[in-house]
Parts: sequence; C-alpha cells; structure tokens
Amino acid sequence: MKTYEDLEGDGGSNIIGQVVELGEKLRTRLDKIKYKVALMSGKGGVGKSSITANIASCLADRGNKVGILDADLNGPSIGHLLGVGNDAQLDMKDDGLEPGIGHQGIRIMSMDMLLKTAETPIMWTDADDATASWVSVMESTAIRELLADTNWGELDYLLIDMPPGSDRIDNIRSLIPELAGVVEITIPSPLSQHIVTKSITKNNKMGVPIIGLIENMATYVCPHCDKEGKLFDGEDVHKLSERKDVPYIGKIPFDTRVSRSQSGNLFYKEFKDSVTGQAIAEAVDNIEKFTTK
Amino acid sequence: MKFLCIPCDVKMEVQTDGIMPEEKQNLAMKFKCKKCGHSIAMLTNKFETEFVSKLGVEMGGATDVSKAPMAAVSSSLAQAKEELKATNPEDDLIWTEEAEQRIKKVPFFVRGMAKKTVINFAMEKGITTIDAKVMDEVREKVGM
Repeated sequence: MKTYEDLEGDGGSNIIGQVVELGEKLRTRLDKIKYKVALMSGKGGVGKSSITANIASCLADRGNKVGILDADLNGPSIGHLLGVGNDAQLDMKDDGLEPGIGHQGIRIMSMDMLLKTAETPIMWTDADDATASWVSVMESTAIRELLADTNWGELDYLLIDMPPGSDRIDNIRSLIPELAGVVEITIPSPLSQHIVTKSITKNNKMGVPIIGLIENMATYVCPHCDKEGKLFDGEDVHKLSERKDVPYIGKIPFDTRVSRSQSGNLFYKEFKDSVTGQAIAEAVDNIEKFTTK
Repeated sequence: MKFLCIPCDVKMEVQTDGIMPEEKQNLAMKFKCKKCGHSIAMLTNKFETEFVSKLGVEMGGATDVSKAPMAAVSSSLAQAKEELKATNPEDDLIWTEEAEQRIKKVPFFVRGMAKKTVINFAMEKGITTIDAKVMDEVREKVGM
C-alpha cells in the first residue's frame, strides 16, 4: 500500500501553496515599512492608545511617514483619537483596502472603521453559539488581514497599538518576525507595574526586543502653572526598569488637554512645548535611537 | 491530509463540485477514486474546522473569494460595512435573502467552494434566482 510520501500533492486543497501565497502577500506589504514597533501594556486603562497616537504625532512631526495598526480589535480607539470616524467611507481597491488618513497624514487601520455603526460590537458570527476557539481563530485571522490587506504604502514607522495583556504578541511576532521591538507602558500604580512585569518577562522569554519602559501618568501637570503633582502611590518605576533590565525611556506626566485630541488635533502637535509634550518627544528620541541604531 | 483508495492503491481526488458544508461549521468533503469511481466523504466537526480556518486557506483550493482583500473579515464579521462586503465577486444570479443567509453560515474558508457549487448547479439548470429550494436541491445532488 502506498504511503503519504508516495502520493503527490496534498489532499487537493493545495494548503501549503495557499499558505505560501498568503505569506508572500504579507511580506510584500511589510517590506515597504522600515520599522515596526508594538506598544503594549499589561493592564488596560494606562493610556496606551493615547501614548501611541502622540508618539505617532511626534514621529510625523519629525518628517516620518507613519501608520498605526489598531490591534485592539475589541476596544479600538485609534480612529477616534486620530479623527477618522466610523462613518468614513471605505475605499476598497483590488489589491487592498486604503487606510484611513488621520491627523498629520497618519495612516490608520482599525476594526472600528469596518463596522456598520460606531456602536456595533465585533461579533464573528450571527449564530448564537460561537465558540471561544472560533472567536480566537477569527481574531488571529483578522490581525493578519488588517496587516496584509491594508495599502499602507511606503512607511518609516508602523506602530501597533496592542490590546491590554500580552497574549496578542505571539500572533504579532509570528506575522512580523522583524519587529523592531516593543514599548512597554505602565502607570506608577503597583497593580499596573505588577501586570506589566509579566508582559516584560514574556517578551524576554520569547526573545522579543524591548525598546524600553514608559511611565505614563507619572505626575499631574497643572495646565495653568505647569506645576507637577503626584497622581499615584507606588514603587518607583525606575526600580522596575532596573530589576527587569529594561531601559526607562520616558516619564510622561498626565495633562488634561490630552483629551482634546479626541475632537481636534493630536495633543503633541498642539502642545509640543508643554512639559508633557517634551516628555513625549524624549520617549520618541529613545525609540528612534533604538530603531535606527 | 490525503486519501488512498486501498483496492486500487491510488490517491483519491477531492471533488470540488461535491462539497456541501453543513451550516454549523461542520465540513463535508467528497473524495473520489479516479480508477474505480468509489467515493468517500471526510466529515469534520466544528472544532476541527476551526483549526483549519486559522491558516486562512480554503478547502478545495483558493478561489476569488479567499483571494479578495479582507476576505475572512468581510465574510465573517456579523455587522460589517456594506462596502467591505462588496469585495466578494459579484455574479449575475439573484440570491434570495434566505439563500444569502444560508450561504453566510458556511465557514468562510469553504464558502467560496460552496458558493461555486451552487452557482454551477444553477447555471447548468438555467436557474436565475437562487433560493432555499435550489440550495436543498444542490445538497441532495451532491449527496450530503
């Protein structure tokens, strides 16, 4: 009786050929992008998307062509922050979907742009018995398509706004093996630091380069007098960075004007000379230094 | 995965016109021995098909449906924008709402093949409107 190797081809679906073709499509797209950087936090609510948007703003302000992939599929906020509403018309071409063009020409792709209304949640089937494994499969597939089927064009930086937690990095790492690195974001609270430590440990184990640790909401800046005050009690984030041997690349104070970016320009563009604006610029200095070394 | 016809000792071939997946993400694929004509069906449960789908490939070979940008997202997202869904190739046939709903329930990675089977059947018979009755006939014809 013949064995597996004796029979030419596969079962008839050419699975390997299809997988190779998908890989080539993704590669063609990614090869036009110089640096891919993921921004992660362990805990949600630490201002990761807002930091991502403002780092993009600073990079664009320095003449870089920048894109953002909103990998937070179930909590997308990049479109909102960059001024691309859910009602924006999609422009589908034969070779891919055109990205949304946000403030300062930043190209974005987010699940929020693909859903019928701003209030529509992401559901991967109309059926009422969608299994957790099906949802997980579809999320991985969606990330691949958002990356590979968006006409990003030539970019200097593609920032990937990750969802809270560290599970999605496995997915991103397998799709983008040349990932320049990840930026870990935490706030000073002990809980946030506890969770981001897990993310750092995981990335170290996986061999994912860590560009550095950003301490967001490190202090509170009075918009009237620029005086800083403490927002959270917690261990000094410098200590965490030393303990985990991760560079401390930015201490970003909270500024109430950050919320203006939801309706007007991005905070950095408008307030680059503020204490917070300068702190963002310093973090970007470190990111550029790391990626271009 | 390959299938061997033991009496003939030859590889069985996938029947691209013989697939009619069940609607609850079960998969049924027909294989036929070219030599003796014997047919078998590979049946998988939804958990097995979910793992295949992670590869983003189509059973029976890639079609225009799977090659279109955002194919999986557009065909699987419950409430996607219409212009995203328009990425699927158009055909001249009219699909009734019920038939559309039924084909939508087919997992995306076999939807192209299932749709092609229904379209081929309709064109052979000169049918211009695909409704639930036509889909039942197709299922009966392919024997699954």
